[in-house]
Amino acid sequence: MKRILAMLLTLVMVFALVACSSGNNGGTNNGGSSNNGGSTGGEEGSTPGVQGTLTIGIASDINELDPQQQNDQINNNCIALTHQTLVFLANENNDYLPSLAESWEWTDDTHLVFHLVENATFSDGTPFNADDVVFTYEKAMDPDRSVVAATLSLVESVEKIDEYTVQFVTSSYSNELLAVLAGYPLVILSEDAYNSGMENPHYVGTGRYIFDEWVPGQYVRFVKNENYWGDDPGVSDVIEFRPIIEAASRVAALQSGDIDVCIDPPINELSFLEEDEDITVHNQAGTRLFYLGFNCESEPFNNQTLRQAIACAINRQEIIDGVLDGYGQAQTTVVNRGVWSFYDDMEGFDYDVERAKELLAEAGYSEGELTVTLYISNGSPYTSIAPMIMQYLGEIGVGVDIQQFDEATLKTQCQDGNQQMFLWRWNVIDRLDEIYTELFSTDYATNYHQYSDPYVDDMAKQVLTEKDRDTREQLSIELQEYLVEACPQVPLYTADLVIAYDKNLKGEYLFGGGNHNWSWAYIDLSGSEA
Amino acid sequence: MNETMKATENLQEYKGRSLAQETWHRLLKNKGAVVGMIFMVLLLLLAVSGDLIYDWDTQIDYMEMGVARQAPSMEHPFGTDQLGRDVLARVLYGSRYSLIIGVGSVVLGLIVGLITGSLAGFYGGGWDQLVMRANDILYSVPNIMLAVVIVQLLGTSILSLVIALSISSATSFAKITRASVMTIRDQEYVESAYAMGLPTWKIILRHIIPNCLSPIIVQVTLSIGSNIISASSLSFLGVGVPIPTPEWGTMLAEGRQFIRSEPWMCIFPGLAIMLTVLALNLMGDGLRDALDPKLKR
Amino acid sequence: MIRYVLKRLLFMIPTILITSFLIYFAMDLAGGDPVNTILPENATTEQKEALREEMGLNDPFLIRYARYMGGLVTGDMGESYVTGLDVFDRFMQCLPMTLALGGTALILACIISIPLGIYTALNQNSWKDTTGMVFALFGVSMPNFWLGLMLMLVFAVNLNWLPSQGAEGPKYLILPALTVGLGLAALITRTTRSSMLDVIRADYMTTAKAKGASRRRVIYYHGLKNAMIPIVTAIGMQFSLVMTGSALAEVVFSWPGIGRLVFESIDKRDVPTVTGSIILCCILMSIINLLVDLIYAFLDPRIKAQYSNKG
Repeated sequence: MKRILAMLLTLVMVFALVACSSGNNGGTNNGGSSNNGGSTGGEEGSTPGVQGTLTIGIASDINELDPQQQNDQINNNCIALTHQTLVFLANENNDYLPSLAESWEWTDDTHLVFHLVENATFSDGTPFNADDVVFTYEKAMDPDRSVVAATLSLVESVEKIDEYTVQFVTSSYSNELLAVLAGYPLVILSEDAYNSGMENPHYVGTGRYIFDEWVPGQYVRFVKNENYWGDDPGVSDVIEFRPIIEAASRVAALQSGDIDVCIDPPINELSFLEEDEDITVHNQAGTRLFYLGFNCESEPFNNQTLRQAIACAINRQEIIDGVLDGYGQAQTTVVNRGVWSFYDDMEGFDYDVERAKELLAEAGYSEGELTVTLYISNGSPYTSIAPMIMQYLGEIGVGVDIQQFDEATLKTQCQDGNQQMFLWRWNVIDRLDEIYTELFSTDYATNYHQYSDPYVDDMAKQVLTEKDRDTREQLSIELQEYLVEACPQVPLYTADLVIAYDKNLKGEYLFGGGNHNWSWAYIDLSGSEA
Repeated sequence: MNETMKATENLQEYKGRSLAQETWHRLLKNKGAVVGMIFMVLLLLLAVSGDLIYDWDTQIDYMEMGVARQAPSMEHPFGTDQLGRDVLARVLYGSRYSLIIGVGSVVLGLIVGLITGSLAGFYGGGWDQLVMRANDILYSVPNIMLAVVIVQLLGTSILSLVIALSISSATSFAKITRASVMTIRDQEYVESAYAMGLPTWKIILRHIIPNCLSPIIVQVTLSIGSNIISASSLSFLGVGVPIPTPEWGTMLAEGRQFIRSEPWMCIFPGLAIMLTVLALNLMGDGLRDALDPKLKR
Repeated sequence: MIRYVLKRLLFMIPTILITSFLIYFAMDLAGGDPVNTILPENATTEQKEALREEMGLNDPFLIRYARYMGGLVTGDMGESYVTGLDVFDRFMQCLPMTLALGGTALILACIISIPLGIYTALNQNSWKDTTGMVFALFGVSMPNFWLGLMLMLVFAVNLNWLPSQGAEGPKYLILPALTVGLGLAALITRTTRSSMLDVIRADYMTTAKAKGASRRRVIYYHGLKNAMIPIVTAIGMQFSLVMTGSALAEVVFSWPGIGRLVFESIDKRDVPTVTGSIILCCILMSIINLLVDLIYAFLDPRIKAQYSNKG
């Protein structure tokens, strides 16, 4: 009997060992992808030395390609291929570059004028002009025809001045209107296509690629727009996004050459990818802030001192090391790292158990008296962070009851204010308003903190509309200091952007927040064949 | 009349005992079943005494980031997980959760299945139609999808897992009970008990259920195993036992992201599930052979 | 016979009614506002309210259910909340993938299990029997997704023989089918073994032996033929397991089948897709069960006679 058991055990161990003695032998023979007859593979496309199809493995499927009917990052990654915005947000220095607009200026506090490019055409060959811009924004501002209407609430009207000039009339000056217009939900649509009565007119754009096919759960495919109007067209013939939900599968697919780019590789598998000489692991500062939020409206966290006590009990650096293997940066302020006016030098509430205990006593609680709920959503990294928080709070004598939900339920629970504490993230690229207003202003839907403070509401508005750059920065810093002291959330860390791809990938255009633009990306075969 | 009753009961008891003894002897001949049984007894002891061996606060749930993700060593024979917890301690301690879920869901399913199945078999007619159609319906929905929906409805907790998993067990128990009851219902000793004016529930309890025990025992053993697996699948789908409970399925689901870099986090809970379910299956198969009257030699 | 089939088909109606009610009810109560999955996260409260109104989410549950069923009767299963795709079309897109996976898995399972079952039966209670059964139980004792991940790491990543994910040809089918198949092997082996044991002891086997038929002929011709009925039943009964196993393998291997569709939709609170898919699953399983019963009837003349009498 023992022998059978032993045999069984050995079998499993051998199996496991084979499974785990990985890396070195897997990497050597997967340059293009010699092993499968699929559509990817290293075949040359129409451009010499360039792989025909670029395949990108993504963590979840797209769900909507009508630009104004969505605002999901993964959809936006696709729309970035097929459409263009008036202004283009560069991935460095938060610069705005010309795209469908050549230049722009605020003529006074309430008028923003755009001068459009004159030679652009849509993928169906029709020319682009001011009518399309007016059409696009009038549609976008109509809440019945667009889900992003709220982002344009300051805009009163969009007027055509001449064939290639458009004027936005706003109710007040806004520092962030340009940033809103650079967002992919507000790409320029073709008025002709909408009027022609064709099916899915939203597929027609001025971009470098044309929508080809979406097979849900399998792939969404784009083909090169051969008649692209600009002088920097796409290089790959075809760009394909493939949803591979299981992270380990996605990495395996990259290593076996089934995909060329792997979005969100799990941190703990990076060492295998780094050992693989055919793969590049890229990381850069991210803009995704993870935090522990409080419900500031109801017991017990309507008590500011108690919130501060919790903040002092949490060891951020240990969370970063434990959960992210160091691929992240701790921060004290509520503004995402990298956003203009980010200020992190306030004293804040750093890890200090003694101080936490003092604050807890000051808040009127003795050790062991309090047990609070922590609402989290399933999946990484929340399920790893939550037990750590449970332990930290245990050290100051506060019990934690972790409750897990799927994301949709978590959002609903937080909107309804059923949570006491919650873990969440917020991705902001360059708009302060997305933080001050959307997270902390009274009654805003995404204000899961249920935070309400007239001072903050007022300051948020001032930061949005103040024209003087220095004054604005000062206001923003003051507001950050105020919010850190008020402590509606404990900012934990900004996660780095980590992405892995074929070492021959060229022309990638990445953003720390994940809203990449793949329009120019291709796999260069000349290097690997030489 | 009372004396006759007693005599029948004694006879039943005597018969039962000898049957049990005979079954036991035949079971001991099956090597797989013996190994399975020994394993399960040890596991049960471990699950019960977990608190004596380990302290929850300092050993099971205590994170020590300094020793996170260490490979198996003398100090941590199964290594440590991503939060520096000892995997061996968690696997051993976790046996109780897996057993509670496995056994709990089967017991709940058994109770429901026995009641509905024997009612259906005993009364026939409308009852039978009702129960069997309900079973057909539950049978035609894939179990795992049903379970996920139920856990979503009840919220993630051990109790809702138990309830969700008990449903699929209940259908098979109801089917088995019904079939056995129908064959036994018309036999003479049941008819005579009926004639003696015993209340129906007593007849079911005393005469019918003992007689359909053998297929049920087999099914119980096998169901515990399959429910442990289902529980881990639900954890994999993100609707299992909430963290930081050291339940095997949850540990597996959490450890799967480290399957290449720190495989021990995933291998040992997986191994624990595998051995337990294997032991239960071996036991179940052995019992099936031992209880099968056709296989008597 | 025909009447029997009709009766079974008619019974699917209450099944669908009850299932749809339960699933719709559960998904509805489960919390998690679908509006949150449709609109961008930073949508305003007014917008959410407007969309809720537009989708009729503010109506009482029974009215919404009645509306849904009204659509169902006219063959309209609604559109996905998340993608706006027609639920029926989407299901039909996934169905062949799941059938291919499940079918291949069953065939693989049979190839492994039936010989193994016979072998163990012939060596009952010996160490060969135990080893054989332990081997058969291996697959069913492991969580399916774990086995899948291990297979993937060995054959796709380390050995680089097979693709790790996707669905672009027969090659892509091997690993997921093996994962599901090993999970099914135990039950088929077990049934084969026990029904062979029954058959071996039956009188006609003794007769056949007495008549001087070779051992091989006795076992494979007389024995297996008679043991087939319970085996076919067991296989038929496993479709629920096939679906379950496939569903998990689909997630691991990114196989675009029904299981993945349902799980992803549950996560996104896509009530129409979940309800519709489960109803269609129900219909599918009922049809498969009916087919299994019919095959069973043809295999066993006694049952065939029974149906004819009834009909």
